[in-house]
Amino acid sequence: MLVYVIRRLLYALLTFVGITIGTFALIHSVPGDPVLFYGGRLSMGGLSPAALQAIRHEYHLDEPLPKQYARWLQGIITLDFGRSLVDRREVTERIAEKLPRSLLLNVIAFVIAAAIGIPVGLWSASRMGRLVDRGSAISFFLLYSLPTFWVALLLMEFFSVKLGVLPLFGVTSDGYAQMTTGQQILDRIRHLILPVITLAYGQLAIFARFARSALREVIRQDFVTTARAKGVGEGGVVWRHALRNALLPIITLVGLTVPYLISGSVIVEDVFQWDGIGLLYFDSIRTRDYPTIMALTVVTALVTLLATLVADLLYAAADPRVRLEATP
Amino acid sequence: MKRWLAASVVAIALLGGCLRSERATGPAGTAEDTSPQRGGTLYRRLETDVVSMNPILATTRYDRLVANYLFTPLVNYDDELRIIPALAESWTISPDGREYTFHLNQKATFSDGTPVRAGDVLFTLRKIVDPQSEAVQIASSFEQADVTRSRVVDEHTVVIAFRESLASQLSQFNNLLVIPEHVYGRGNFRNDYNMDATGSGPYRLMSRVPGKEIIVRRRGDYWGTQPYIDTVVVKVITNETTAWNAVQRGDVDETMLHSDIWMRARSDPALTKKLDFRQFYGLAYNYIAWNERNPLFADKRTRRALSMCLDVPSIIKNLYAGTARALNGHFVPDQWAYNPDVPVIPYDPPAAKQIFTSMGWLDTNGDGIIEKDGKPFKFDLLITAGSVQALTIGQLYQNALKGIGIDAEISVLDGATAIQRILAGNYEAAYLSWDLDPDPDPFGLFHSSQIPPRGQNIVYYANPQADRLMEQARHELDIGKRADLYKQLQVILADDQPYTWVNQPAVKWAVNRRVRNVRDGKGFGLFLWYPGELDWWISGARSAPLRSTSG
Repeated sequence: MLVYVIRRLLYALLTFVGITIGTFALIHSVPGDPVLFYGGRLSMGGLSPAALQAIRHEYHLDEPLPKQYARWLQGIITLDFGRSLVDRREVTERIAEKLPRSLLLNVIAFVIAAAIGIPVGLWSASRMGRLVDRGSAISFFLLYSLPTFWVALLLMEFFSVKLGVLPLFGVTSDGYAQMTTGQQILDRIRHLILPVITLAYGQLAIFARFARSALREVIRQDFVTTARAKGVGEGGVVWRHALRNALLPIITLVGLTVPYLISGSVIVEDVFQWDGIGLLYFDSIRTRDYPTIMALTVVTALVTLLATLVADLLYAAADPRVRLEATP
Repeated sequence: MKRWLAASVVAIALLGGCLRSERATGPAGTAEDTSPQRGGTLYRRLETDVVSMNPILATTRYDRLVANYLFTPLVNYDDELRIIPALAESWTISPDGREYTFHLNQKATFSDGTPVRAGDVLFTLRKIVDPQSEAVQIASSFEQADVTRSRVVDEHTVVIAFRESLASQLSQFNNLLVIPEHVYGRGNFRNDYNMDATGSGPYRLMSRVPGKEIIVRRRGDYWGTQPYIDTVVVKVITNETTAWNAVQRGDVDETMLHSDIWMRARSDPALTKKLDFRQFYGLAYNYIAWNERNPLFADKRTRRALSMCLDVPSIIKNLYAGTARALNGHFVPDQWAYNPDVPVIPYDPPAAKQIFTSMGWLDTNGDGIIEKDGKPFKFDLLITAGSVQALTIGQLYQNALKGIGIDAEISVLDGATAIQRILAGNYEAAYLSWDLDPDPDPFGLFHSSQIPPRGQNIVYYANPQADRLMEQARHELDIGKRADLYKQLQVILADDQPYTWVNQPAVKWAVNRRVRNVRDGKGFGLFLWYPGELDWWISGARSAPLRSTSG
């Protein structure tokens, strides 16, 4: 087991270095110059060529790429991602400002989606072939297909404009600071409802569909037939024998979803003015703000790696075959 | 799914029921509506968050919209695009036009109570021209400034010197928003003042939450004409539809709108009762740039014929519902440099076809595309991603050109890539737009010395006669004579067609009717001229309770 853990850690480290090189190479090969975009914009103003060159120099953009990469990597190790090309603020500060907001929204949506989606999917699979199963399969598919921006606008139009019962946008109301703690919590919840619904419905459908197909897969296997042959009741077959096996792929899916918790959603954040990581990412790419893009990518990559690492280890703990395969 | 939805509706009703706030507009038709009132809170919408609160580092229009509450420029524009005193009460210009002496308003103070001194003006100028500052938007306004010869005469008199006399220089002092040296002189100028502000404007900064809002409050000790409104809350709402919903609900009092929403909403009586739908022409236009380094576009007859294939009247009628103007050249009707006698190029593809035929462009191989010397008439039209209108116009144009045997390929590029390619001259034709300066000097756009990276002559236009007129005009201090020169220039530009001028679209706005005295100024629209937004007042301001809305 120890050998396996060390091997996985080494792989993770290698993957991380690969990701940093990939990100760096990719962002520098995309056409569009951040300095020109920032200072040489197509307007009546704009900086002189000398001033543009000075900015390039300051950000070391005039150095050869390997040297730039080394400098950047050095910064990462000390958690210094430099300053944004756009507003000159520390990249870590910009991210720290928005990350809690995205995290709060995404975690709530994720928990709700998983808490509803997985049981519903399992329940529907246990009624395989019946009308409820088919009906729910179709409705999950429909739910999954509804475009987010459209649903967001419909929800907004109905609950905020027509009924006027929910706030239209933002994280808190005006005068939030003057509210009592109870009012503040209620105010935050009211602001969360529509964004959470918008984020959760699609995830819910994915979880439900995945849980349903995972369980269906297991139910078809021989050991389930054996259990049935032994005379175990249908409920016992599904919930005691099949479910445990079906949970493995579901854990993987959940693990893979974790990175999305920090990467944010551009559409939801834009429509509800939930100023978070998604919008920051989008804007940074648009403005070619190298330091911010790279910091965000590295952070997301790290979380992804950690999540897959943990999932792998859990897997190995749960399933001896995985460990055996890995041992040379 | 249905049950789940129903359950959440109940939950929402429970949470929201007690808080459903009254959003009625203030009482209409009372005496309170006609006489200005002090007080109240104005809720404005900002499309993009401010990049920096430091007015010298302002990079976008949005930065300036907020800075206008907190800082005062040396001079202002009035509603007729004329220059009027602001922080400078009066000024004199030396006979050689190279020295400007400004007499500051002696009562002027910064929001920390200290008086505005001549030294602060000089400090601000130094920061603008210092390349270390990276004053992206305004450094070019003071490119010719001679800091060593500029000097403080006394506490309230400052001389600003230039290496060259420029007719447009006075207007550039509108970009000089004075900052106090004793505040901004400390620490790192570029990094330390992006979140805070100390200025001599009528409001002071109360708070800023990036990505959310900026709150400013009227200064009780303001030295100039007191504005009416007590508090201005500027809310960042990037999404257009969200902003439109917000202005309907009363979460914000004003927003710019897309043409289609504006045109639909304007005919709804329920909405017009609450909202005032405004439109005005800003100093901006759309155009197609023809890269003259490409032999295809080197001949002005070609460019003229290409202009004749763009159906501007139909675009204005169908895409803008009449809320756009056709242009006869570079200057727009609100500018004093505009020459009304230059005709607009008519939409006439058959005549264009004749021009091409007379130039030897014929379809000899029957593939539907005209050729000359074996080369087909083909080019790439670059369009920046994001504008549906630009793409629609591009496609209409593509179709019209196809009709006379020209193959235009549309390539949509994102902003950063497009700018890089255009400034490098690496394009054939591009659909673009300009935001013009209030001063009409087009030197940077059309003078042959101003090709990138030096200036913005991105079409590589060169006409000695036009060069001479632009050189003369930019040094001519007599506005009448200068206008004459520009009127001649307009004739030449219209004849040469370095651009195909597409149109000048009206800017559309919705303003809540509780906000009064919202007037527009030539070229500027609702904001940034004087008094402009500083003269608004709110109906029922005194009696209105504090609202609890979202945002």
